[in-house]
Amino acid sequence: MADSTLTLESEIRLRLAGRAGFEHGPGPHDLTVRLAHATDVPAAVAELGAAGLTLAMLVATDEEATAERDLKVRYIFEPGVGTTLPRPDTFVTLVAALDPAHPQLPSIAANVPAANWHEREAQDLFGIVFTDHPEPNSLVLHDGWPRGLYPLRKRFDARQRPVVEPAEEFPHLRVEGEGVLEVPVGPIHAGIIEPGHFRFSTVGERILHLDPRLFYTHRGLEKRVEGLTAGDAFYVVERICGVCSVAHGLGFCEATEQIAGVEVPSRARAIRTLALELERLYNHVGDLGNIAAGASYHYGTSAGARMKEALQQLNERLTGNRFLRGLVTPGGVRLDLTSELVQSIEGVLAATAEGLENLMNRIENAPSVLDRLDTTGILARQDAINLGVTGVAARASGVDRDARRDHPHAAYADAAGPRVAVVTETDGDVHARLTLRVAEARESLRLIRALLSGLPSGALCAAVPGVLPPWGIGLRAIESPRGAAVHWLRADGAGRIDRYHLRSASYANWPAVPLAAQTAIIPDFPLVNKSFELCYSCTDR
Amino acid sequence: MKVAAHIAVALAQAGLLVLLGPLVTGFVQKLKARLQCRQGADLWQPYRDLWKLLRKGTVQSDTASPFFQVVPVLALAATVVSATMMPVLWAPTDIVPVPLGDAILLLALLALARFVTAIGAFDAGGAFGGMGASREMTVGLLVEPALMMVVFSIAVVGGTTDLGDIAARRSTLAALSWQAPDLLALFALLVLIPAEAGRIPVDNPDTHLELTMLHEGMLLEHSGPGLACLALATHTRQLIVINLVAALFLPVGMAHGMSPVELAVALAAFAAKTLVLATFLGVVESSYAKLRFFRVPQFLGLGLLCAFLSLALRIL
Repeated sequence: MADSTLTLESEIRLRLAGRAGFEHGPGPHDLTVRLAHATDVPAAVAELGAAGLTLAMLVATDEEATAERDLKVRYIFEPGVGTTLPRPDTFVTLVAALDPAHPQLPSIAANVPAANWHEREAQDLFGIVFTDHPEPNSLVLHDGWPRGLYPLRKRFDARQRPVVEPAEEFPHLRVEGEGVLEVPVGPIHAGIIEPGHFRFSTVGERILHLDPRLFYTHRGLEKRVEGLTAGDAFYVVERICGVCSVAHGLGFCEATEQIAGVEVPSRARAIRTLALELERLYNHVGDLGNIAAGASYHYGTSAGARMKEALQQLNERLTGNRFLRGLVTPGGVRLDLTSELVQSIEGVLAATAEGLENLMNRIENAPSVLDRLDTTGILARQDAINLGVTGVAARASGVDRDARRDHPHAAYADAAGPRVAVVTETDGDVHARLTLRVAEARESLRLIRALLSGLPSGALCAAVPGVLPPWGIGLRAIESPRGAAVHWLRADGAGRIDRYHLRSASYANWPAVPLAAQTAIIPDFPLVNKSFELCYSCTDR
Repeated sequence: MKVAAHIAVALAQAGLLVLLGPLVTGFVQKLKARLQCRQGADLWQPYRDLWKLLRKGTVQSDTASPFFQVVPVLALAATVVSATMMPVLWAPTDIVPVPLGDAILLLALLALARFVTAIGAFDAGGAFGGMGASREMTVGLLVEPALMMVVFSIAVVGGTTDLGDIAARRSTLAALSWQAPDLLALFALLVLIPAEAGRIPVDNPDTHLELTMLHEGMLLEHSGPGLACLALATHTRQLIVINLVAALFLPVGMAHGMSPVELAVALAAFAAKTLVLATFLGVVESSYAKLRFFRVPQFLGLGLLCAFLSLALRIL
């Protein structure tokens, strides 16, 4: 165990002495802190924050049917931006137990803005009351869902069709004043995109305030996987969203493997990493085109779409699926890389590298494009830290986080594997997010080439038991194209899925979009939105 | 020449502009596609779209008044009538017995079409229509006076605002007699035509992003034959604007009589001039991003300034 982990652990033990019990888990370097009293949560969270930890996510579980007969809320922390690099690869889980008859907890959202959505989600899906929450509106469940019906409680039967109750319009902040106009946008848009409703309060073209409403594609997938075997649940998780299929599938597999104690063969680890980087590459390249579309720069739109298409056709040649589905599987990978496939990857990579430099050259030499990108949609560094923003959005605002380095796994953790060079920008505007994507795409190209040249030989898959060890917990963070996605998985007494929770990168980043939008005018909002390029499906689940 | 003949010629020329408007849009779209390394739809696609829309039903917002239904017809009518003011193939050298080609009336009718479309957009009650309309009127505020000044700057020389007359007079002297005010006015017009045609760098006709729309935002609530009328008005307006540049600055090759040879030459000249200016629109649209909306007044201000200087130089 690394020294820094030990230092951090002893500091946490010191700060919370007498108020909590400590144990290692779920991973060997992770720490679980069980609070004696749920009312201590704000104080304990403040202590963990002072120790340099930042909130990654919050997982609620319904354990009424178990021996403990309670609801639990787990606050998962990881070392924050303030800690020195290299950061200890550790997760700290703060566990609070609640009375199932009156599940109530003091809210931490006022001091930890990153907890805002998590608490509201637990309120909607578990009926847990977070007292003194600054914005206690419903988040996941929309108007008309019956009160007192909590879908993720074990006693809720997901096969039922609840009767919709009459309800008021979407609760949002009403801005008042002379000339203030509310502009409702979506959930149905003129283009073919995912559904989201945006309520702008504007004066002229200036955006004063933006209230987004998401979760139109909430499919109850976390409820759906409960009771399934890990092998079956994998197919659901891999399909939570299209463009993060590898990242989400892999996160779930690694959590399963952590519970089962399975060691994945090194060739499989390398191929998994390769798939992650290919996914990042096609997303980043496609996003360049999307940002150009936001600025109405037609050449860039087409160039981005063309390169993305070539990469997705490569995906299809590799796996038979344009989203690289079906490659990763619990225990390893399903498909091998033949020398023919390696050649076609190298060919597409060379074309992509050339096209990328060509496009960037044109963008950087087009004042009309740069004028649209510069100072548009600025996300301040402190806001990014407070909201727990991750991925490209965080790094473009100078927040140095990357799960590939901070929680190394697969080939990133192998001694012979490639090391990720994390890039950051400081301006936090659309231009910074664009340049950062290009830098990361170049880094992905380098990583893929390094992986291809040093591909280890050996088995592709290790056996994973159909039934997991009872009550085992898996906790993994994967750097998806949009940022770190954190997976929390627990097996039930029969070794099937008891609870699975995904905090996708988009979920963490959505609250930052309204802040960035406030620095822009209405016609620039699509550009700001596209520079974040967040996914609705993996936010809504 | 007889009044009836004049009217027949004006109607024929307007018919030509209305019929060929979609083809020019098709050409610009094809050119843009090729510049983006795409195949693109063929030249006739705008006609197919119009035909498709004409056969569709109409959906109307509950909040719209009966006036909303009339908007497409009024906008198209104003545009078509303005097209009759435009010398396309034929510029008479004799005194025109009826005021069929007045530039002021032409610009006023184009402004009327814009105004009616904007009012219709507000009438539907959608947020995007109002937003698009207010932006379009902001642009119109800058474009319309500049266009007026360009026309006046040219009109002052001949002492007439009759476009046919202007074209006829200038065609005899052609490019040899160009002075500084002509160059300034031409530059102003080249800055203004993308805005008047609803194209980049001021507007983006291809976007599906509602929040960024100008002209398209006003059309969002229209459907079916109504949308077809407005689309046809947009195609026609673009060709009128292109032809305005040709009539004012390049009136070469226009027919003065009715002989087939003259008309054939005029038709070829018209095609060539339209092709050059449509290429200009397509190349600009492929080379630049759309301006940030608050930069649009600066950009159009350049056109306004040049137009003003041109007129000032001419009068002084």
